Amino acid sequence: MSTLVGVDPDQTGRASALPALTVSIEKDLEVLVQRFLARKREDLDSVRVALAAGDYETIRRIGHDLKGAGEGFGFPELSAFGAALERAAIARNERALGEQLAAVEQFLSRLRVTFR
Amino acid sequence: MTSATLKDPEVKTATPLQPAAAASASTLRVAIVEDDMSQAELLTHWLELAGHHCHHYDRGEGLIRALDQESFDVLVLDWNLPDISGVDVLKRIRASQQASLPILFVTARNREDDVVLALRQGADDYMVKPVRRLELIARLEAIARRGKHQNEQPEVIELDVYRVDCQTRTVTREGRPVELTAKDFDLSVLFLRNVGRLLSRGHIRETVWGPNAVVTSRTLDTHVSRIRNKLGLTPEYGWRLAAVYRYGYRLEQLDQAVPRIPRNSEI
Repeated sequence: MSTLVGVDPDQTGRASALPALTVSIEKDLEVLVQRFLARKREDLDSVRVALAAGDYETIRRIGHDLKGAGEGFGFPELSAFGAALERAAIARNERALGEQLAAVEQFLSRLRVTFR
Repeated sequence: MTSATLKDPEVKTATPLQPAAAASASTLRVAIVEDDMSQAELLTHWLELAGHHCHHYDRGEGLIRALDQESFDVLVLDWNLPDISGVDVLKRIRASQQASLPILFVTARNREDDVVLALRQGADDYMVKPVRRLELIARLEAIARRGKHQNEQPEVIELDVYRVDCQTRTVTREGRPVELTAKDFDLSVLFLRNVGRLLSRGHIRETVWGPNAVVTSRTLDTHVSRIRNKLGLTPEYGWRLAAVYRYGYRLEQLDQAVPRIPRNSEI
């Protein structure tokens, strides 16, 4: 059984404050899950940039994709975060977007994936 | 990427679920149009574990272009694409020569009017992301079965003067056995299961030789020619195994046999 840490805790500075969330996923998905989480980490960077630029369409699209894919990879929380991001982007609700972004970052920083 | 089969040598799958090199009777050739790479990889992984062959397109136009030269058993279609919408892809396919291609929408758009619109425009089924693996496979196989291109086939095909036993891998024509090589047998089964359907060269190659085989056009043509002769798939016997330029082949059963015109040397 191997373990994958979702996001480098140093990137967020929040990891040590909260306990890890451990998710167990089938071994055959290991490579795909690693790639998926890496892409989502990049997406968070894009959301930060888009939020600063007021580019709500980019955030909506990223949220939409996260909503569609998260649960399939074994992370229903990410699908829920994606749906919330999409809604907030459509509403152009900057405050809600900031909160959702922080929530996704926190989730990923606490995430520990084990492959069985 | 405009077209690719998502293959990853790093992805390891449990041995019993590994797809066979060449297609089995229930193997579907699936086109997936999806611009989210993670989603595309996941769908491909699931479907290939179930024994199907997948071809991925990240743009709607990429698929539309591919359909000029390729045939598929079923299409998995996303709605939000970077170039044209999934509904536009659907409309164009329904107005094309491949109008009967079974189409499963897989999209995160969950509003009732979206579902209704897609179904009314001709989608065969609609799933809202996130989708569940077994349900996706079951729905995909169901629409393929309901379509004309049903791949779940009986072990014995009886058609006109032909009887094909897939269990013993034997073919008889008017009760007499026809000697075929293994590949010629597979090719014969593919055509006899798809009478009237235009099959692309890629489709034929993948189904008979497997997704990774390197088979030249000449080799494919040679095998087709051989089964045409051995099985008598010619107008004088009421059949035509026709080549379609730059695309592939179609086996047609004619309304009536066309008398063969003797060559000069035979008169």
